[in-house]
Order: sequence, then structure tokens, then C-alpha cells
Amino acid sequence: MTTHADGFDFETDALSFMDQLYAAALRMTRNGADAEDLVQETYAKAFAGQDKFTPGTNLKAWLYRIQTNAFINTYRKKQREPKRTDADNVEDWQLAAAAEHQSSGLASAEQLALDSIGDDDVRNALAELSDDFRMAVFLSDVEGFAYKEIAEIMDTPVGTVMSRLHRGRRMLREKLREYAAERGIYDHRAGS
Amino acid sequence: MIKRQCEEALDKLFEFIDGELSDEELLRIGAHLKDCPPCEAEHRINEKIRLLVSQAHGDKAPHQLRERVLSTLQMARDEYK
Repeated sequence: MTTHADGFDFETDALSFMDQLYAAALRMTRNGADAEDLVQETYAKAFAGQDKFTPGTNLKAWLYRIQTNAFINTYRKKQREPKRTDADNVEDWQLAAAAEHQSSGLASAEQLALDSIGDDDVRNALAELSDDFRMAVFLSDVEGFAYKEIAEIMDTPVGTVMSRLHRGRRMLREKLREYAAERGIYDHRAGS
Repeated sequence: MIKRQCEEALDKLFEFIDGELSDEELLRIGAHLKDCPPCEAEHRINEKIRLLVSQAHGDKAPHQLRERVLSTLQMARDEYK
């Protein structure tokens, strides 16, 4: 048991992130039983490797990194990784971004449509993204990690994180538009 | 019509929202958003989606998971000694 003079206690501090790790695990595995196993595995690895953690650095990011690696090594193999058609590519979101200046009618229709979007819609939309995009969006939007931290957690360059975030969020937005359109709340022809 | 300032603002919108820009860029893009309704609309939509995502994931770890993790911890402690 490692307790430090500054009041840092590895176990207590690590355990305080369980809800967050579980929420992230649910997003990664997309099923409750696998999510529990993943969190369990994460803690087993964290406790066994706690000497490798440097007190004063970001414990939450450290735990997320363990969990992300465990997910990639165990569950992705099990789930058979979807082929990476959406290969990381920094250029194409940059090209696409310039096109995204819509008419004011369209923008306000979309803002209105977003008001009708519920938690389930957001979860379903996120679940439809590929693993890398979903995790990048989750780590940024839900956990508020900085790009640099996400890069460390996902073991990838910052440019790749940005690309995943851009593309993941654009796809997410597209899904939410579709959901609203299916309910007749959002009409993409509005204002044109 | 997309102006160059719009292009920059739209290109860096996510970094703006995520707090990843330098102070100088933050000010410049913030000023542009104030002046440009279409860019500001984009900004609002993306910020709203970010908020929706952040609110949709408040899952609590189930009780049995907590117990499993605590027993793992106990085993790790025993090995540690």
C-alpha cells in the first residue's frame, strides 16, 4: 500500500475514477458485461503496476491509458476489429472544413433540431462511430482531456488525435441530423 | 461566400471549443465569431453537440463491479507484502 506524505493514496485515488472508467468502458465495448471485465482488468493492471506511476502526474490519464491498451489488446481482437476504411488522414478534414458554412436558415433549423436530441440519441450516434473516433470524442468531450493527453492515452501523434476528433464529430453531427430528420424535426432543405 | 477569416475560424473551430489555441489565436477567432453570424452559428452547433455528448454519459459503475475491483485490490495487496 502506497501512501505519500502529501496525502496521495494510490488506491483511494485510483478507485475514485471507477464510475468514469466504467462509462468509458461502456463506450468502448458497447456492452455492460465486457465493460465490467475491462474495468476489472484495468484495475488489476493498475494495482500490479502502481510502482510505475509517478505521483504528481495525471493519475486519471494513466488509468485511461491502461484501459485503452487493455481494450485494444483484449476486446478489439475479440470483436474482430472493423477494417479501417476511415484511415487517419489529416488532410481531408481540413479540406472538408471550408465547405461547412451553411445558410442561416439551415443553421437555425439544425440548432432547433438539436434541442430535440436526447441522451439515447447521443449514445446511439456515438456507438455507430468506429472505435478510434468514438474514443477520441469521448476522451475530449466527456473527460475533457487535452489533445496531448489523448495522444498519450491512445498512443498516437497529436495530429492524429485532431483528425479523429474532427472526423468523429462531423460523423456524430451527421448522425444526429439523420435522427432529427427521421422524426421530421430537421429538414436539410430548410432555408435553401 | 467564404472569406479567409471564415476559413481559419471554421478550420480551428474545434480547437477553439476545446481550449487548444494560443491566446492570440483565441482572441482573433473569438473576434471573428462575434462579427460573422454564419461562423458563430457553426460554433454554437458544435458547442451544443459537445455539451450533449458530455451530458449523455453519466453511467455509474455497478455495485458488483465495485466489489470485484475491491477483491482484486485485496489480492494485489497480499501479493505486495
